[in-house]
Order: sequence, then C-alpha cells, then structure tokens
Amino acid sequence: MSRFIEECRREWKRLRVPDAIANEMAADLAADLAEAEAEGASAEDVLGDAVFDPRAFALSWAEERGVVAAAPVRSGMRPSTALALVAAVLVLVAVVGAALVVVDRPGAFGVRLAASGTRSLVPPRFTFIRPGVARAGGNRLLVPRFRIAAAPGVVIAPNVPDTAQAGIALLFVGLVGGAIVAALAWLLRRRPTIL
Amino acid sequence: MLRGVLDLCLLAVVADEPAYGYEMTRRLRARGLSIVGEGSIYPLLGRLERDGLVETHREASNGGPPRKYYRTSSAGQRALADGIGEWKSARDAIDVVLGLVEAEVQQ
Repeated sequence: MSRFIEECRREWKRLRVPDAIANEMAADLAADLAEAEAEGASAEDVLGDAVFDPRAFALSWAEERGVVAAAPVRSGMRPSTALALVAAVLVLVAVVGAALVVVDRPGAFGVRLAASGTRSLVPPRFTFIRPGVARAGGNRLLVPRFRIAAAPGVVIAPNVPDTAQAGIALLFVGLVGGAIVAALAWLLRRRPTIL
Repeated sequence: MLRGVLDLCLLAVVADEPAYGYEMTRRLRARGLSIVGEGSIYPLLGRLERDGLVETHREASNGGPPRKYYRTSSAGQRALADGIGEWKSARDAIDVVLGLVEAEVQQ
C-alpha cells in the first residue's frame, strides 16, 4: 500500500497541494490502511474501486477538500504570469496606436508624417500674358510672353493604410484585448481559493 | 440524490461520537451499509470538512499515530436534520411509485 500512498503524494505535489496538508492526508490514509490490514481487511475494503486509480483518488480527495490551488499548468508558466505578459503587450500596442492617432492629426505638431507614399512630379504652370512685339531686320515679330504661375514640385500621396487608420486599429486591438485579459484575470481570481 | 445521501450517512455516524476515517467505515458496515463501492469516504469527508459540516481534531489512538477525528458541527446538525426530512419525503414518494407496480412484478 505504500506504493498507493506514494502515487497519491505525487499527484498532490503535481496539484500543488500544500505539503502540510498532503502529509496529513497521507498519514491518515496510511494509518487507516494499516488498521484495516491488521483486521484482515483489504485495501479495496477501505478504498473501493479507487484502489485501482490512485491519481484519480488523490485528485478527488484534494478537490473535494478544496486544497487544489489552481489547475495544474503543464508548462512552467503560471496563468497569472502569462496573463500579465499578454496585458503588457496589449498596453504597449494601445499606446503605440494612440500615439499614431495623435501624431497623424493634421497640425498636431506642425508636421504630417508622409515618410512613405507615392511620389509624383508636378510640372510648372504657365500663364500666358499679352504677347510682345520684337523687330528683326525690319520685320516685326509677335513674341509670345508668359509667366510661371506655379513652380514645379513633388507631391507625396501617403500609402494606404493611413497612419491614423493603423493607429486606430492598434488602439482597438489593445483596448479589446485588454478587456478580454481583464475578464480572464477576474475569472481566475474567482476560482475557489484554498486555505 | 445518492451523493447527498452518503454525506448524510457520514454525518449521522459522527453525530454523537467523533470518529476517524476507518472507524466511520466500520460504523457504517456495522449498520449494514458499505459505501466504499462508491469510491471511498475520504473525498466525502473532505467536502464535509470544507463546507464546515464537520469539525476535526487530532487525537492519539491506541498505540498508533494520532488520528484525525471528525464530529458533526452545529451546521452539520442542521444539514443533517434538513437532509433527513428530504430523504424521508423522497423515500415516501419512491415507495408510492414502486408500490403501484410491486404486486404485478412479483407475480
């Protein structure tokens, strides 16, 4: 029967049952089994079908007693740690999104971000004015005259998505994700706390 | 219903005199009831303890290690009284249902 009790101990350890309580349960079980054996009773007489499944028995006892602190996590990370990490990432995303929205407001800082976009050349614009007259070899020539109405330049059309749109999307993801994480954290805190 | 009834039986056997786990099993057997087939009494005792329906204390046993004794608490006494009433009502209703066909099936 010591093997049965050792299996139970292993399961309680996996379930993170406090050592003092696991020791108490193991001692009580060992004493009862020893007494039953002394009377000629078998372990099955004491434990019933549970004698064939020590892990299930240990889990059931610990759960009913309310000493399982949380669902066992197979990876090394605790749920609360994982949630905190996710929350930090979401906050960062929301902050970046908010920053993009603010920066992209026209005139917010006197600068509009257009670092990337489609560049196109704009030709100069000419305005014709009254033609002049020139003399050449006794002939009079009509000379067209014009002035430059607008200088040539470069226009930058921002690529899609716009900076503000990207910011809004990031802000949305950050806020919605944050709400989900907060709800999960609340649910975790509502789990029966033990001891 | 059966799960609650087993809880009642455990409360009943320690209502007057405290007992440790195996002693409770013995008392139940002495009264004609073996519940270990349902699993074992330990998870049930754990639930009763968690719900405050039993009080526990450690006490040295005869020549053996100190044992954990269970005794029905005042909340457990109230739960036991309520449970006995519910059990009797359920039992009477079942008796009526089964009594209607008892004569026929026994022929």
